[in-house]
Amino acid sequence: MLQLVLFNLFNGLIIGAFYVLLALGLSMILNLSNVINFAHGNFLALGGYLAYVLIPYIGFWPSLLIAPLLTGVVGLIIEQTMIRRIYGRDPIYSLLLTFGLAFMIQDACRYIWGVNGLPLATPPSISRPLSTEFFFLTGYRVFVVGIVIVAVAALFMFLRFTRMGMRIRAGVFDLETVSALGINVKLLRSLNFAGGIFLAGLAGVLAGGQIGLNPNMGDSLLLPSFIAIIVGGMGSLVGTLLGGLLIGVAAAITTVFFASASDTVIYVIMALVLLLRPRGLLGEEGIL
Amino acid sequence: MNALETEDLHTYYGKSHILHGVSLKVEEGRLTTLLGRNGAGKTTTMRSLMGLTPPRQGSVRFFGTETTRWPPFRIAALGVGYVPEGRKIFPYLSVEENLKVPLERSGPWTIPRIYNLFPRLAERKNNRGRQLSGGEQEMLSIARALLINPKVLILDEPSQGLAPLIVREVFRIISEMRDEGISVLLVEQNARMSLEIADFAYVLDGGTIVHAGPAAELAKDEARIESLAGATAEGWNEKAPAA
Repeated sequence: MLQLVLFNLFNGLIIGAFYVLLALGLSMILNLSNVINFAHGNFLALGGYLAYVLIPYIGFWPSLLIAPLLTGVVGLIIEQTMIRRIYGRDPIYSLLLTFGLAFMIQDACRYIWGVNGLPLATPPSISRPLSTEFFFLTGYRVFVVGIVIVAVAALFMFLRFTRMGMRIRAGVFDLETVSALGINVKLLRSLNFAGGIFLAGLAGVLAGGQIGLNPNMGDSLLLPSFIAIIVGGMGSLVGTLLGGLLIGVAAAITTVFFASASDTVIYVIMALVLLLRPRGLLGEEGIL
Repeated sequence: MNALETEDLHTYYGKSHILHGVSLKVEEGRLTTLLGRNGAGKTTTMRSLMGLTPPRQGSVRFFGTETTRWPPFRIAALGVGYVPEGRKIFPYLSVEENLKVPLERSGPWTIPRIYNLFPRLAERKNNRGRQLSGGEQEMLSIARALLINPKVLILDEPSQGLAPLIVREVFRIISEMRDEGISVLLVEQNARMSLEIADFAYVLDGGTIVHAGPAAELAKDEARIESLAGATAEGWNEKAPAA
């Protein structure tokens, strides 16, 4: 029994890690630009497919960085040409626009790479099972958790210690004053958007290595990621981190005892948090 | 050359016509004050200068450069420091982080020098903005504007909500800035104290300039100052015993 709980706990951490990567990017974009990015899960898929294209030429390790970077560049182009136009408007505009974008990116992936799933080759050195005795664990899963920890730590350090990070955090609260202090807030928003999409792309490469690629692969992760933001508290990235891990682990542990409720438990947590602490777990604490 | 010059500014909020042809100038190295009662259009004038609420008509020039349709960040980058009404401190950033947000233009102002001028900020550098008192927040807001190394400093009601002793301290610092060679535009309801340190004064009422002249001259015009003070706390307190 303990074995099963531990196995699911680790599984929960992995799925939670994906929620965290996706939710942090969503949260960054929502906080600074007030844009609800419904296409975020499709950027995840795009990241995975770009890695699929790159790996035969440059190998897995460079692709792990370059595919998310290219996804970020695609995000930047979309921000410059479309999303920028709806800044300052009612959030319904961003919702409609990104909803449409989601279909466009999904169909583009389907058109280029086909409807059927594709495998993403990972290096044998990290694909081996680490342990089959206590519970089954592949090196790749540990690797995924490791990369997510590094990415999240790098993001938090960037926001905490660099001037640009401070400007982003200041802009979340008052973009107008940041602008009056000489900062190009259009550029700040664009780079922040690209950063959020980079994280989605990274999640796509990591997820592709674990479950393979298909055009809808981001869909099932998107809604829980929004819930992670709500549970953690809007505006707080630490909250988003905790929210993502909490719902990932809670869903996995529920699988052990009451498998059919594992999806429902996420919504139960959200309802409880909204009832007991409507601002979310860390909603009052600001962005970091 | 004038540090700042506006000509016939007309600014609207939606359909409301707020500024009706405001023309004023700030001479280089001088401290100019813009006085007026609540709702006279002082903050709207400041916002028009900074590009935050661009005027629909008229022109704004900083050091001879036309900036009327520029975004705020480009205006600031010319060397325009802005201390907004209500201070607008970033509440969740520490004092030190607040000081690192502005654009870094080269010049004499650095964070160590700021800490020298405002030792209180140095003591509280790790505290969050929201943990500061009103006076400390005002100092932080001025410090932030100085770090842009401005050639002209625009302050919107720095005395608002501060205790009289702190207001004196803030005004002393503002007049020091002028002595350093920074041109200053000080917007205030507190007419008496502003006129003590200003070289030139404008009075704004109903979105138009109703008086322009040397500050010392206006300071002698008790009746006009009384009418300006009418809506301030100072004015109310003075009237209270009689009522």
